[in-house]
Amino acid sequence: MAGEHVSNDEFFTQLANLFEYNRKKGHGTVYLTQKRVTADDGADAPSSAKVADDPLWDTHPENPLPIVIRANNNKSTKRKGTDREDIPKIKMSTVVQPDQLDAFYARYAEVCKAGMSALKKRDKKKKKKDKKKKKGGEAETKG
Amino acid sequence: MPLFKTSTEWYEQSSLLLQARPTTARITSKYTVLKPIPSKIAKREKYAAKRETKSNTAPNTGSPPPTSSNLQDPSEPSVTFTLKTFDPVSGVCLQYQTTKAAEVGRLVGSLGRLGRHMAALPEAMEDVTTSVDKPGEAVSTPIVEKDKPLGGAAPEAKAAGGGGKKKKKGKK
Repeated sequence: MAGEHVSNDEFFTQLANLFEYNRKKGHGTVYLTQKRVTADDGADAPSSAKVADDPLWDTHPENPLPIVIRANNNKSTKRKGTDREDIPKIKMSTVVQPDQLDAFYARYAEVCKAGMSALKKRDKKKKKKDKKKKKGGEAETKG
Repeated sequence: MPLFKTSTEWYEQSSLLLQARPTTARITSKYTVLKPIPSKIAKREKYAAKRETKSNTAPNTGSPPPTSSNLQDPSEPSVTFTLKTFDPVSGVCLQYQTTKAAEVGRLVGSLGRLGRHMAALPEAMEDVTTSVDKPGEAVSTPIVEKDKPLGGAAPEAKAAGGGGKKKKKGKK
């Protein structure tokens, strides 16, 4: 967990780079994690006192808490006989304040949609072709 | 470790888990592109060939036509997007996996809504859901909403959930 949090804007540019990198390589994984920021930042120190008398304190904190978003890829090491190269692990993280959550996720969705381009697209042409084929097939069997 | 068939189901269960354990549960999304290894390519080719011969020899079954156009190129990478909600304390792990690009926007939208649980924010105006007009989801979101704002709902879920939830998950 060591390492500095970057600003939200910077996180998005880095994330876009990470996806782009993955796309160029044509192989690899991008991990995205989201989690509530735990109370070790000092800001929420008083809440630790509550833990003693209410074990469920975390289900109803008085103030909204920020959440942390992490992104990373996998390290890869060079191996003979394959096209594997030495790739360092790239990781980044950012803290999203509760009031920016909606705006953040709107952008996040855009970046993810753009980045995950290798997933299957909706293919209307194929479907149409299939339908035609089906019709053709039926006609043949009838005739 | 249930792998849900629909994203709606995954969202509902994850939202319940996050209400019960908002500090420890985390959501990991994995986007992975895998180039097939040579043996996998061989396997795919074999399978394609087998399917073709089958459809050629027995065309009289009528309705299911040969869908050779649907068959993928054997050397095509397999690409998946997996969502995983994991709570290390109770060991609950909820998963959903898709290969469709069309779902990404909606899934990240639901990540955002789950993020609101994490941040302990009240439920957003749900009528502005990013979801496309899916009847199943439209019906299901209000149910989640009803459970949400009650303070009592969460502790209940936890009290019963610790052991019970896990068991339920195991069966699936």
